[in-house]
Amino acid sequence: MRASRVPLALSAFAAGFLLAVHMVRLDRMVVARFEGRLFRVPSRVFSAPMILYPGLDWKRADLMGTLTRLGYRQGANGENLPPGHFVWRDDAVRVHLAAFDHPSRYQQARDILVRLDGGTIEEIRDLALDRPLGAVLVEPELVGAYYGPDREQRELVRLREVPWHLLEAVLAIEDQRFETHHGLDFRRILGAVWANVQAGKIRQGASTLTQQLVKNFFLTPERTLRRKLEEALVSLVVEARYNKDEILEAYLNEIYLGQRGATAIHGVGEAAHLYFGKHPRHLRISESALLAAIIQSPNGISPYRDPARATKRRNLVLALMRKQGRIDDRAYSESAAEPLHLSAVTPDPGEARYFLDFLRRQLPEIYGAQTLATEGMRIYSTLDLRLQRIAAQVLREGLERLEAQHPGLAVDDPSQALQGCIVALRPQTGELLALVGGRSYGLSQYDRCSQARRPVGSVFKPFVYIAALEPGSGGPVITLADFLDDGPLDVPVPGGVWSPENYDHEFHGRVMAREALERSLNVATARLALEVGIDRVVEVAGRLGISSRLPEVPSLALGTGEVSPLEIARAYATIASGGVRPEIHAFEDLVAPQGYTLERRHLSFERVLDAGTAYLATSLLEGVVERGTAASVRAQGMSGPIAGKTGTSDGERDLWFVGFTPELVVVVWLGFDEPRSVGLPSSVAAIPIWVRFMERAVGKKIRGAFLPPPDVVRLDVDPASGALALSGCPERRPEYFLEGTEPEEVCSGSGRRGAATDGVGPDGRPGGFVGWLRDLM
Amino acid sequence: MRASRLLAALAALGLLACVGCTSLGIRPLRISEVADQGDAVRRASQQLVLDGLDSAIERLPDVALRQYERAIQVDPTNPYGYLVIARHHIDANDPRRALPFLDQAEALLRAQGAYSPAVEAHGVGLRGAALYAIGEPEQGFPLLQRASQLAPSVWGDGHLSALDLR
Repeated sequence: MRASRVPLALSAFAAGFLLAVHMVRLDRMVVARFEGRLFRVPSRVFSAPMILYPGLDWKRADLMGTLTRLGYRQGANGENLPPGHFVWRDDAVRVHLAAFDHPSRYQQARDILVRLDGGTIEEIRDLALDRPLGAVLVEPELVGAYYGPDREQRELVRLREVPWHLLEAVLAIEDQRFETHHGLDFRRILGAVWANVQAGKIRQGASTLTQQLVKNFFLTPERTLRRKLEEALVSLVVEARYNKDEILEAYLNEIYLGQRGATAIHGVGEAAHLYFGKHPRHLRISESALLAAIIQSPNGISPYRDPARATKRRNLVLALMRKQGRIDDRAYSESAAEPLHLSAVTPDPGEARYFLDFLRRQLPEIYGAQTLATEGMRIYSTLDLRLQRIAAQVLREGLERLEAQHPGLAVDDPSQALQGCIVALRPQTGELLALVGGRSYGLSQYDRCSQARRPVGSVFKPFVYIAALEPGSGGPVITLADFLDDGPLDVPVPGGVWSPENYDHEFHGRVMAREALERSLNVATARLALEVGIDRVVEVAGRLGISSRLPEVPSLALGTGEVSPLEIARAYATIASGGVRPEIHAFEDLVAPQGYTLERRHLSFERVLDAGTAYLATSLLEGVVERGTAASVRAQGMSGPIAGKTGTSDGERDLWFVGFTPELVVVVWLGFDEPRSVGLPSSVAAIPIWVRFMERAVGKKIRGAFLPPPDVVRLDVDPASGALALSGCPERRPEYFLEGTEPEEVCSGSGRRGAATDGVGPDGRPGGFVGWLRDLM
Repeated sequence: MRASRLLAALAALGLLACVGCTSLGIRPLRISEVADQGDAVRRASQQLVLDGLDSAIERLPDVALRQYERAIQVDPTNPYGYLVIARHHIDANDPRRALPFLDQAEALLRAQGAYSPAVEAHGVGLRGAALYAIGEPEQGFPLLQRASQLAPSVWGDGHLSALDLR
């Protein structure tokens, strides 16, 4: 070797050594990524499934909207309607329900005919079995997902789940020699160089699928020579380490394919759902071609934004597939002639984000934010998406209407705006059906339903009456026909005297207990609470579902305690369900990506109040809606069994309405985050929002009835005295009593008579119930 | 000790069942017999109860439980939904969880005027079975005896199967 060649050889050796070291480093990097968690997959939350059954109001249930959001398409009415399609006629809808993997049971695809009778479902038939069905589940809708900081959404797919035509389409347009090259396609590189030289600028790329994958996995998007060299080296390492199927599967799951709102859609699994509302295995050739077509520029060639451009490029993909022998002429011509069948755009359901946050807080601690953002779990929630949308809309509209009608409420700074929240529960089960924690999640993520604790005002009063009505060791303190004193009251308290006043600043003297609650009289209620004992009222409220710490002060009876709307919803749910306190839950199943259930919530409740007292409280609250402070509910056209209570805190800072039916409890709260007067009573501000929610959710006519348990008796009483009203009593109205607490005194045509304790009246005749029976005979 | 007590109890129940056959002779409730009662919502809910019982008969208790819960979602005032969940929890060796469901089923049945002797047998029997399993035989056994008297054909062995309730 000549001396002049030595430095050259040494340089070459050094360069080779350094390259080898670098390659080893790259190899480690590649292995670390491929052998570790390849993708971060956000966990997804699904709604409760829709249940179809004969008698269901399909319009109100939004059957058409649900099918559309799920990606179902109008099909032709023939023998073979594929899954995920429906045919709508005037009197029936045929739906081929898609199969879905629900944790409680795998649901097979099912071809059903839903006969419609006006607005209701008349019959559901299984067409394959030719038999009627009592109830059918439609798959749950996607509510949202728990993203990491990058907000990437993807649904992982295995290569075997991907249809052949999607693979062929991707290879045809992106990398036709993928099967034969080793990471770099030199023929294509030369072609691209020649094309770019001719054009005088960079017009054509030559990246293989492997290079694209490497760029996304390991490198930055910058276009420098060094980065391109690095990309080439890593591609060679990847090809040497892994087989083509592994690389292709990684590519198909990684590739960016568009946006849903602020969320980036990655991978063909997620993209198939975004664009076509289906799993990739159900894609058609034309749909596969469209997905392959938009890889180059998902937003520029977006079929939503520019359908003509997207169609043109799709057909280019189809032409390449034919030219490369991947499809035949017939498949080409049929697919190229198909219009774009896109699913309805489903924006990120922002209105459900408060619910998603609440659900996250309800999950066991081991499922932290990081786990939820990466593990790809499926969470089957209790959310009724239809009710959630209605709640979000009526709250927003209600607040805007109030601001329009009362310009003083409007403020320039949106962060200081009038706020509100709505929460809806199924009382017997505790399922959280809807939760909207504020007027805009974008502006404020603070959930006023579950995180805020505000003075509840008169919404608290029923707890006082329940404490007084509930039979204790010495029997109940009052019956509903007893009279309370609504005269001036001075209560010594530390630092002075507490003297409650009524809303109208007047005293009403002697009032029947029922009337006192219906009119929400403060003084009578405060006096009753003192008689029962504040500690007992606190105990009852806690038992019903109030978990916030309540101050044991006289003013608690009037709602000075600070409680969250969700707690109020739970306590009223206990009343609505006959004294059974439900466990509030926002999810049913938490499922691992592999399909096994990690967590499961089942229906659970506890009896905390006897059914009789719960019914008396319900009856009282029905009276509030019939004749009392919430009578505007009826005035706005709502009929059927409704009970409820208004609440307005001191200075009209917090406006509440809690209303319930036999099947639904809904709480509406309005106020400012920085407490100040709204200047309106809750009947004007909160009730209209509640009524609009119910109208749209279940209609103006409420189903069912509040049924008294057997230990509650209904008797007529004299409103003037509270005595049992006999045949001649000049006035009467019905009242409910726990068995054994009926009034002893009677009112007859000859006037009011007291009953002796031994059952003999002052006139020597049997008094009390016996006397009443004798009178009746 | 506990097993022998149970055997003795079952033997006693069997004897009572024979006596009961000739005494009360009430036909115990089958939910399929009341499945077409009530409005459309109730009927749909009952269908889900029956689907759940079918799953239980097929030895798919988890599936059955979700179907019972769906039945209550459709109609939260359907007492039979609570009754079958109570039966499920007793079968699943979780008798404490069964009791609130029994309470609710009975409260709804009574409020709806549907607490007939035919259903009472199941209510009483399930409560007896739950209390017995919890370890309160003094309370549970008399109830099982009562159920056996009311419906010996079903409660003679101290157990209510999904098939018998279906």
